Amino acid sequence: MSASFTRREAWRNRFLILPSVLLLAAFVAYPAGFAVYTSLTNEALSGPAAMNPRFVGLANYAKLLTDQNFWRSLAVTFWFVLFSAIIGQLILGLMSAMLLNRRFALRPLVNAIILMPNAVPEVVAALMWASMLAAGEYGTLNNIVAWFGVDPQRWLTSFPLTMIIIVNIWRGIGFAMILMTSGLSSISDELYEAARMDGANTSQIFRRITLPLLVPTIFLYLLVSTVSTIAIFGLVFALTRGGPAGSTELIGIYIYNQSFNSYQLGYGSAVAVVVLVFSLVIGMLYVRALKVDV
Amino acid sequence: MAQRKQTKTTAASRFGLLLVISLYCVMPFVWLLVAAFDPGAGLFLKMPDQVDFSNFFRVFYEEDGFLWLMNSLIVCGGATLLVLVLSGFGGYALSRTQAWWKRPFLYSIILVRVIPPTALIVPLYKVMLTCNLAIAGVVRSVVPPEHFRQVMRIVGFIDGYLGLILLLATMHLPLALWIMKTFFDSVPREYEEAAIMDGATFGQRLRRVLVPLAMPGLAASGLFAFIAAWGDFLFPLTFISSPELKMLPLGIYSAFLRDSQIDYGLLAAIAVVYTAPAIIAFALARRFLVQTFGGGLKG
Amino acid sequence: MFKQGLWACCVLTTVMASQQALAETVRIAEHRQARIDALQAVIPKMEAATGVDIELVEYPGPDREYVSKLLTELAAGTGPDIFSLPEISQVVDFSTAGYLQDVTAEVQGSEAYGHFYDIAKQLGTSDDGKMYVMPTMLSVQQLYFRRDVLEKAGISTEQPKTWDELMQRAIDAKAKTGQYSLMLPMGVTWGGGPFVEGFRHLLSGSSTPQIATDDGKLDLTSPGITEVFGFYEQMVKNKLLPVDPLLGPEPWVIPKYQMFPAGELLITSCGSWCLIFDWGPKSKNPIPDVTKVVGTWAVPGKNGGEHVMVSLSHPWAVGASAANPDAAKKVLQAMGSVDLMVSYAANEGNLPSRKDALDNAEFQKLTALVPIMSYLDKAAFLKTAPGFSTVVDGVARATEALLLGNTDAAGAQKILVDYAKSTLGEDQVK
Repeated sequence: MSASFTRREAWRNRFLILPSVLLLAAFVAYPAGFAVYTSLTNEALSGPAAMNPRFVGLANYAKLLTDQNFWRSLAVTFWFVLFSAIIGQLILGLMSAMLLNRRFALRPLVNAIILMPNAVPEVVAALMWASMLAAGEYGTLNNIVAWFGVDPQRWLTSFPLTMIIIVNIWRGIGFAMILMTSGLSSISDELYEAARMDGANTSQIFRRITLPLLVPTIFLYLLVSTVSTIAIFGLVFALTRGGPAGSTELIGIYIYNQSFNSYQLGYGSAVAVVVLVFSLVIGMLYVRALKVDV
Repeated sequence: MAQRKQTKTTAASRFGLLLVISLYCVMPFVWLLVAAFDPGAGLFLKMPDQVDFSNFFRVFYEEDGFLWLMNSLIVCGGATLLVLVLSGFGGYALSRTQAWWKRPFLYSIILVRVIPPTALIVPLYKVMLTCNLAIAGVVRSVVPPEHFRQVMRIVGFIDGYLGLILLLATMHLPLALWIMKTFFDSVPREYEEAAIMDGATFGQRLRRVLVPLAMPGLAASGLFAFIAAWGDFLFPLTFISSPELKMLPLGIYSAFLRDSQIDYGLLAAIAVVYTAPAIIAFALARRFLVQTFGGGLKG
Repeated sequence: MFKQGLWACCVLTTVMASQQALAETVRIAEHRQARIDALQAVIPKMEAATGVDIELVEYPGPDREYVSKLLTELAAGTGPDIFSLPEISQVVDFSTAGYLQDVTAEVQGSEAYGHFYDIAKQLGTSDDGKMYVMPTMLSVQQLYFRRDVLEKAGISTEQPKTWDELMQRAIDAKAKTGQYSLMLPMGVTWGGGPFVEGFRHLLSGSSTPQIATDDGKLDLTSPGITEVFGFYEQMVKNKLLPVDPLLGPEPWVIPKYQMFPAGELLITSCGSWCLIFDWGPKSKNPIPDVTKVVGTWAVPGKNGGEHVMVSLSHPWAVGASAANPDAAKKVLQAMGSVDLMVSYAANEGNLPSRKDALDNAEFQKLTALVPIMSYLDKAAFLKTAPGFSTVVDGVARATEALLLGNTDAAGAQKILVDYAKSTLGEDQVK
């Protein structure tokens, strides 16, 4: 190809990506930059500080360090991400993908059922689970556990964090399964054949062949699911509003409560900035581990 | 013989496991479906005394269910179309270029998924307001005053279709760009080069080679964008006020506080209407998903 | 299209500075169906009286989301021309933020002002002597009890004199009937309820009845607050109130709309609206003969005294960014009409702030409300100060901890103080 052709292509490529860049700059980069600036002020949504916000330097960040609610919120988020996205969704998703890898009569149906929670809008998902987890003897889950002789529980009050983890696992199995299925499909059948010829049993095959070859897929999945789980807001907010007593106050909810309940925009923004940095670091660790070349 | 027996037990445990997972996934839907057809539904799951369509009837005749559905379809459909166009071209450019900004750009747009939307709302509102004022200025100078409001409902940024479409498209663009970029990475350059050798212009290459090849990737990224936009609640809540523009998530929301007591039957019926398009979209494009991700991972 | 749009944005933002007014249209934000119905009914009259087109814009239902949306818009320098504030404490927070127009002249010059109860004038006037709101409705709150059930159980229905007497009566009622006997709102999901419908009533009968100090600070370490939390603690300890429903997303639905009508909850705090909206003609689950079956007590003081709390219910304000301030203020004046007040009273159950509403034939039909009007001459209210919304929020958090049995009265007070300090800073809290 001629040099002028290459140059023309390069210019065209820039032009093709330009609209996306403009939109992202206007609706994401600029507000995000503004949030960083806000985090250095005492801006509030109401009260005197709303009219005349003062520049306070790093005071908001200093306050973060001693704010127990912030650390609790961070811990809640950590357990939430660990158990729902990293452990629960991954294991159940991988399991479903492997179980559904072979053809059988009901496969399309089961496939569709597992994917369904993924497609449900957050508000509806919260509504359905509110009915599932309702306290009292008529709650659906209470009816189910009653078969096993368990007394009715106040699920969202007694085990709030566990419950929102279960709800989030429910929502994410489908996405994990899609990724894992595609990962599995890229492992060639010949490898399995060869292993079987050598007399390897199912668990050996899984440990020696399937798992190592799935590692890139798993890391890609972890990257996507970890960062998007950190930012979860609507599903949990609609169910618990972060309560009781802050036990399900994920970081996204904490930011919302700081900004719209306590009206502390500056402080809320500082939390957001810190979360952003955390996520960035986690993302980079995954990318390192994944060794993806883009 | 022993082998046979083992496969039988493994098969049994396979189905057992699948059954448990499926039940877990399907259980919450049961109440929703039952309640939607039960005129006397409550928060708790119970056998309906009577099954009919009265809840849906109320959604479409007493409430503005049809309007909400159309608004949701217009906004989310518009956003999806925009995502398709932008991510198709953008993904192609990102795949073919080797420029220095490629990596930083790709990594930084992942961050869009990380920023809690709640942190952006207030500054975002200011941006949208500025755009809205600008558009209002243009519209006012072009359109006769009596049509001003109608036009603003379409091209406005606050309380208008255009702003919400652009906003939702932007929020769900990064994932689509990634999908399309990895997808184009796996499309062999030879096809394109052959076309270039034949003297095809970019437009011709696009029509004959790239678009047909990109269909599965576009289906996947469009699907994800649609489902994500469809499920979004915070942005419609913040940027839509007029009843004429009310969307399904807001319809559900107001049904929550309609009267002194929540009407769960009506709520469930709206929820079913709201959920159905997302599930249909998933069902239609599901087969493209595995293909796309499979391709992306190999490449 | 979008590219042209963006381009137009860049060029024209600089040119177009302000939003031009449309021909005399005023946008009023209203939320919740009952309130929307009430306003809708009087819009034609208001349009006729002012000659201004009025457009009603529906906002999200729950107060918290309503205020969030309102604040997002106001912070960006836009928003509806006229809106109401769910809690009176928000008036000071909104006005100091510069979101409200000073409407002193308009309100005082309105036809309504001369007819207002004194308490409406006092509550509608800020510390700086200015008025930022048109006080149209008043809420009168006290204790409501199931006269029929208590009498049957042989429990006295006389006005209780002290906190101890009230508590003892509730404990006896629980023992005799086996039903929940006394509930004051608690917990975060009730929003402002724990403060507005419980805490402040008790506080006004405690040894330190005010929170706002004379220099505009908040005194949250006072012994009165400890006493109030002590009352809550006893209420929870004696299992007088249902815990589960109070932790759910709509905590009022089960106790107020289901248990009280069914006689499963015997005493609760409420406002006059309960007789219309919760259990009366506008309810889905009305109590037959509500005025006979349900009785009222004033909230007793700790060691005696009677307290009936009055506050403004959703006072109306004109936004600082109103497109056409003059038209908006004209409409605000018209909102002081008896017709509007009676319409809201009929739909929602709060009381008109005008004395002459009593002469209105439509109002006289609301037999449950008419007798309560007599309280408006002698009722108590709480002073507010900047940051009051935070106290409201902190009380909700503290009562939730009490409800869950996680803490005692002193611990609850510490939660409130810590929350207020971390939100408002040390210097605003005494």
